[in-house]
Amino acid sequence: MKVTLATHGGLAAAINYRLPPRVVDADTLTEPAAAELAQLVAAATAARAPAAARSGRAPDEMSYTITVEDGGHQVVLAESDTTMSQEFGALLSWLEQRSAGA
Amino acid sequence: MSSTRRPVNCITPPHLLQKLLESDDQDIRRAALNTLLSNAHLRGERAVRATLAGAITAPDNGRRTIFDCQNRTFLPTAVMVRSEDEAESTDNSVNQAFDGLGTTRQFYRDVHNRNSIDSRGLRLQGYVHRGTNYNNAFWDGQAMVFGDGDGRIFTDFTGSLDVIAHELTHGVTEHTAGLEYHNQPGALNEHISDVFGSLVKQWSLKQSAAEADWLIGSEVFTPGIEADALRSLKAPGNAYDNSIFGKDPQPDHMSKFVQRPDTDEGDNGGVHINSGIPNKAFYLTAVSIGGFAWEAPGHIWYESLNASSVRTQFQEFADTTYFKAEELYGAGSTEQQAVLDAWREVGIRISGVPAAAAARAAGDGLTALTRQIEALSAEVNELTKEVQAFTAGK
Repeated sequence: MKVTLATHGGLAAAINYRLPPRVVDADTLTEPAAAELAQLVAAATAARAPAAARSGRAPDEMSYTITVEDGGHQVVLAESDTTMSQEFGALLSWLEQRSAGA
Repeated sequence: MSSTRRPVNCITPPHLLQKLLESDDQDIRRAALNTLLSNAHLRGERAVRATLAGAITAPDNGRRTIFDCQNRTFLPTAVMVRSEDEAESTDNSVNQAFDGLGTTRQFYRDVHNRNSIDSRGLRLQGYVHRGTNYNNAFWDGQAMVFGDGDGRIFTDFTGSLDVIAHELTHGVTEHTAGLEYHNQPGALNEHISDVFGSLVKQWSLKQSAAEADWLIGSEVFTPGIEADALRSLKAPGNAYDNSIFGKDPQPDHMSKFVQRPDTDEGDNGGVHINSGIPNKAFYLTAVSIGGFAWEAPGHIWYESLNASSVRTQFQEFADTTYFKAEELYGAGSTEQQAVLDAWREVGIRISGVPAAAAARAAGDGLTALTRQIEALSAEVNELTKEVQAFTAGK
């Protein structure tokens, strides 16, 4: 499983635009960590709500695109600071702590 | 109570908790607020704002409350750590947020006679330590939310007064023009926040336009990062240039307007990019007029914000500033001329201004004559079209 995190917008939007996406490859993780990642992805996917109206977004809030590639199958999760589920937030926090950019 | 809600069995009824929020005793207020927050958490975050709206946002002269998110992203679980009448916290982020909200509140009250964000005393709430390595601060429609930064590129966002004022000004815009957050209206929304973000800082330091640094977010970077700030109103495109995130992409002229898709990835049509153009216009207006930028320039811009609407474009906003300058300071005043010159320098010509008047500012007689001829030719062309249309219709 490979999970890619891209961030958009925010007060520093012009800088965020230039930063590369962060990638976590489950093959490089320990077994417990890989299992934890899989659980977080499953929970965030199950909690996925219909796309929130972009017109309702808050100024300077950030939005996130998490792309999960696993065995030829791809799932894209997209949320923002004010719309994300708790499950998405948990996955996001985990990725932000574990991932390394280019 | 709606039958679709999950039952929440609370001993203290919500109306009593809301009444306790008005108590003179800060311990009672704190307990009531934490109970309301816990109850709202049990009903889910999306319902929280509606649940707390009446209690938290009741008019109260911008009363401040700071919450500690304790590195969580779910705001209803944040703990109240400082309210208006309480002493300083041991947490510097709490105190910086508290002070920044207060300074911004004072600015709008003293300079614009505005009672808090909504001009009706909206309580000011700040949420610090949001999330983990969160490189951002934002206004969510009711509160300001701050991240601690990742410690690699960014540091604590409560440390920047202009950032705090920038975000609170989004609330002011929300309650005035309501500029839609995409394309040119969105860039104006960002521009207004950058202008008043900088003005609050200048006002707090009693700096003149010439003395000010005109930077937004100079304090948010870690020491090792080569960057002056997130943005520069004085020199858009020059706030940073380094190997980590490249060069500041802001334009300073309409000829360099950046086309970006209206998507999250495209920064909603480049709202943080193209704000550089009106930012430069404000800076030029301020240094031309001289003195304190929050006075004449700030008043012109504030009144122009109030006169704008959700879809106002750059041209319309520029025209408004020109006519507001006339309303406030007189036709042909130094202030109005400064506004006219500034917009022309960034590539926006004020609509309806006689060419001769614009050319006088350029100080070139031949240019004035040329522009006069151009303007007259355009009028003749229009009249010709009208006559042809009239004739064809007979």
